[in-house]
Amino acid sequence: MAAVRELCKSLVQPILAVVIGLLTGAVVIAAVGESVIGTYQEMWKGAFGSFYFFTSTLARATPIMLIALGLALAFRAGVFNMGAEGQMVLGAVSAALVAIYLPGPGVVKMLAGLVAGIAAGGLWSLLAGYMEAKFRIPLLISTLLFNYIAVLFASYLVTEPFRDRSGSAALAQTVMLDKSVWLPKLFAGMSVHAGFFFAIAAALILFWVIRYTPFGYEVKMLGQNPFFARYGGINQIKVMLAGMFASGGLAGLAGTVEVLGSHYRFVDGALTVPNFAWTGMMATLLAGSHPIGIVFTSILLAAFQTGAMGVERNTEVPLELASVIQAVLILFISARFSYDWWKKRKAKGGETHGAA
Amino acid sequence: MELLDWSLISSTIRMVTPILLAALGGALCARVGIFNVGLEGLVLVGAFSAIVGNHFTGSLFLAVLFAALVCVLFSWLFAYMTIGLRANEIVVGVAINFLALGLTTFALRAIFGVKGAFYDKEMAGLPKLDIPVIGDIPVLGDIFSGHSVLVYLAFLAAILLYLFFYRTVAGFRVLAVGLNPVAARSLGLKVTGLQVLAISMCGVLCGLAGAQLSLGQVTMFTEGMTAGRGFIALVAMMMGQSHPLGILASSFLFGLMDALSIRLQGFSLPTQFTSMLPYLLTIVAMFFVKEKSRAGSNQQSSR
Repeated sequence: MAAVRELCKSLVQPILAVVIGLLTGAVVIAAVGESVIGTYQEMWKGAFGSFYFFTSTLARATPIMLIALGLALAFRAGVFNMGAEGQMVLGAVSAALVAIYLPGPGVVKMLAGLVAGIAAGGLWSLLAGYMEAKFRIPLLISTLLFNYIAVLFASYLVTEPFRDRSGSAALAQTVMLDKSVWLPKLFAGMSVHAGFFFAIAAALILFWVIRYTPFGYEVKMLGQNPFFARYGGINQIKVMLAGMFASGGLAGLAGTVEVLGSHYRFVDGALTVPNFAWTGMMATLLAGSHPIGIVFTSILLAAFQTGAMGVERNTEVPLELASVIQAVLILFISARFSYDWWKKRKAKGGETHGAA
Repeated sequence: MELLDWSLISSTIRMVTPILLAALGGALCARVGIFNVGLEGLVLVGAFSAIVGNHFTGSLFLAVLFAALVCVLFSWLFAYMTIGLRANEIVVGVAINFLALGLTTFALRAIFGVKGAFYDKEMAGLPKLDIPVIGDIPVLGDIFSGHSVLVYLAFLAAILLYLFFYRTVAGFRVLAVGLNPVAARSLGLKVTGLQVLAISMCGVLCGLAGAQLSLGQVTMFTEGMTAGRGFIALVAMMMGQSHPLGILASSFLFGLMDALSIRLQGFSLPTQFTSMLPYLLTIVAMFFVKEKSRAGSNQQSSR
């Protein structure tokens, strides 16, 4: 009974935030003179209206979920990794190039692509972690700056040396991957692909790691009280670096499955325009960095976005409705969970600390 | 086109303005102990509302005023969430950035019915101010004359802020709040009030920064036109250790890189690398400023 009550209590705030988000959305819809009910109906239809739309929502949730899981690990360690976007794009472009240019049978190429994607994202993130550990350069800023560098570098790779010059010249992209490298679709003709399974598996693994392994305990210690962690003999830097690598690696995997499972090539801007990275951060915040919760919040946020596409197709309301609702949602969520955290801080009388 | 000449300095001064204004706003927040990651979003809102104001009033003065006003309202949201509800300022800042991007894009379609960018031939940009005597001197005239009012205002703001911080009682109070809010409160200072005031002023400065972006340089609005300048401003603020003159210097560095990267595109370098320049330089610069910046004010790294 107590467990159920605890669960309900932890659900109240997110649900409240969703309601406030939807209400704000309603105000915005009304402001452009559209029917609120009709718009939300279209939104629901666009996200869950048919099996096809439902699988599209799941496909969109896949990278969001992977990024969110990575960020959850970093947040739990008290590290603000703001660089998911760069880590994802760098992972995606590395995976695409390896999968295209590595000689060998399809399965080998696919696996190599996955490994390359994870490694590229992880190492890029690790570099920021290393700079924090060694030179005290704040991660918050370095990871943000790294985004621009990674995205621009990937963009350079596909506009100059690795550009597909055979087809339409309008898009900067690599050549198509060989069919044998593609991640299988879960249902024929639907957009959700095997990457979704990776995301679910990652959520379960992360849940297990956080709950039952010494590393999970160290991460938790470090995030909740770095001073105690230090006295407890935890190698802070090692845990932070491992957390950064895992978090970047998951972001890299997010980009990789997008390339191998849905675009089948690296297209410049295809990963940055849908704002996967920041949506992933919101999914994490909404779920309070809980891996299983992230599965649901990622699907929820993806549903807002695919739903908003349905809205745009069928009404005059612009797509950006989704980002307005999401931003309001996160504002109210942040008020909740940092409030608890602040109270704890205050009680201890400790100095302020930059992470949630 | 030469790589280095006097007009490079002139375009640097134009480029530096939005960064400087936003960074000064960020410094005000940092000085009262609030780390404002939402600068990017605030500047974007400023840029958009400046265009809206200009379109509907036809007056540039009202447009800039409107931009500042909207930004103040927007920054009150930040103040309410961080001070009122005690939400984590970084999370709120990120959300503010997101909200700004969503709302401006949304409003762009709702108000002007266009996607991507709004441009109006009829619309006038901020007038160029020619300074009487200096404008006639060859090199100095090129550098110092012919900028928009906001450019001069930005440099004036840096100096005023310096005088405010280090020469006035109110300034000392603000610094005291940032150094130790509890002690400041025990002295009878209205900590919350000062914090809200600082955030509001930050809103004004960000509104001006946005107006300079959309009206001072190009007379148009494009989705996400801040392109990370708010974050650059954040870094400039940290590099300048929240000291107005330090910020002036570090903003200048970024402005120079910005101007240089545009100029380098005229050469055969790939545009991606030239656009990377300011970010790379920022990282390099951070190797030199780390320790002091965090002792100086109440801002923290992520750990």
